[in-house]
Amino acid sequence: MNFFELVAQLAQGLVSTVVVTLVCSGTGMAVGLTVAGLRRMGYAHLVPFLDGFTYIFRGVPVLVLLFLVYFGLPSVGIKVGPLLAMALSLGLIAGAYLAEVFRGALDSVEASEILAAEAMGMSRFQILTSIEFPQMLRLAVPGMINEFTSILKYSPFAYTVGIAEITKQAMTLTATTLRGIEIYLAVGVLYFLIYRILLAGVHFLEKRYQVPGLGTT
Amino acid sequence: MALIKIRDLVKKFGAHTVLDGVNLDLQKGEMKVVMGPSGCGKSTLLRCINRLVEPTSGTILVRDQDIMGAEVDVRALRQSIGFVFQQFALYRHLTVLGNVMLGLRKLRGMSRAEAEAQALFQLNHLEMAAHRDKYPSQISGGQKQRVAIARALAMDPAVVVFDEPTSALDPVMVREVADLFNRLNREGVTLLCVTHDLALARHIANRVIFLDQGVIRADDTLENLAKHHPNDQVRVFFGEKEGQS
Repeated sequence: MNFFELVAQLAQGLVSTVVVTLVCSGTGMAVGLTVAGLRRMGYAHLVPFLDGFTYIFRGVPVLVLLFLVYFGLPSVGIKVGPLLAMALSLGLIAGAYLAEVFRGALDSVEASEILAAEAMGMSRFQILTSIEFPQMLRLAVPGMINEFTSILKYSPFAYTVGIAEITKQAMTLTATTLRGIEIYLAVGVLYFLIYRILLAGVHFLEKRYQVPGLGTT
Repeated sequence: MALIKIRDLVKKFGAHTVLDGVNLDLQKGEMKVVMGPSGCGKSTLLRCINRLVEPTSGTILVRDQDIMGAEVDVRALRQSIGFVFQQFALYRHLTVLGNVMLGLRKLRGMSRAEAEAQALFQLNHLEMAAHRDKYPSQISGGQKQRVAIARALAMDPAVVVFDEPTSALDPVMVREVADLFNRLNREGVTLLCVTHDLALARHIANRVIFLDQGVIRADDTLENLAKHHPNDQVRVFFGEKEGQS
């Protein structure tokens, strides 16, 4: 089995890696937007809960939370599938980090524009979705790329709950061929390729929605 | 019947009284100018009219409706008062056309085609249609102001209020702004403008209201305010300004 055949074998786990990354990124985005949005809406009674969420979830290791969800919850009668367990651990932790990224970007939205929208008669929710989020998402691109990259790099934890992603394939192949150096080198190449494709996708979207005078480019 | 009638308006921020018993009437079709030194309460007065700032006491009637009432729909009130801010406050992520369309889509519930037609009508009216696809960072200060005015007019407001309309513009733009205001007023638009720009005031109004330390101290022609007003402070304000301009 030559190097390219090894890569082809490992690529069988590629789909799982991409699915885990996309599901966790999607969960992170949804959670991050919700937390940042609720905080921005000014619901004072919710702020301690939102602060508590980001405080706790940014401080918990991914693997600990994953095991808590996947192996711990069944003991109280809640059975969680592997992909959902990843979403509830890595996805929620990413959401906590993204919420902070979004909070910083939201602070860069001009107060005068928000005031103008209020003066026009828009509701707080309309201002959030029509003015603040569209600007914030453009301003938050660097932070979002960092977080998506972290999700990709934490995705190998999925093998611990039985998802046959790239790392799991590598372990199986290593056990049968004893060619660990080549196999894990190939794993590195695959992750690097996924990272570059992910980055190209984000940069494509960034360019597509780029606005002169706004954003990071 | 006055379009806007303000009586005994008081606004306090903590112990600091910003407006101290202001009375003011604005008739339909009128163009009124309020002048005064920085910090005299001009902007606060405007913001009380659409309840961006909550007055401490007094009454404000808009079309004979007391806007301070608990049953008042504040968002509907704001839609009836076009507001053009000092720095224009265009939405940076939207094009010129998008800025004018946003309120029509979100607040008037128009379809994209309807909103675009209405927005283009206003942009044409203000000679900005050629810039429809540009973003705020790609147009000049004067052009931004025209877009902000088009955005306000597109909502068909009862009155358009201007907060220091020339402070962010080159001095040579003042005449152009004044011509635009006069044209809008001739077309029936009711305008309320607060400014400390005497050149602008001279071009758009015979009479001005002088607001100082939250109190209206005078309502007269510029000439009378500068030369014949009994209050030294008023004469100095307008006299010095006359000398500078």
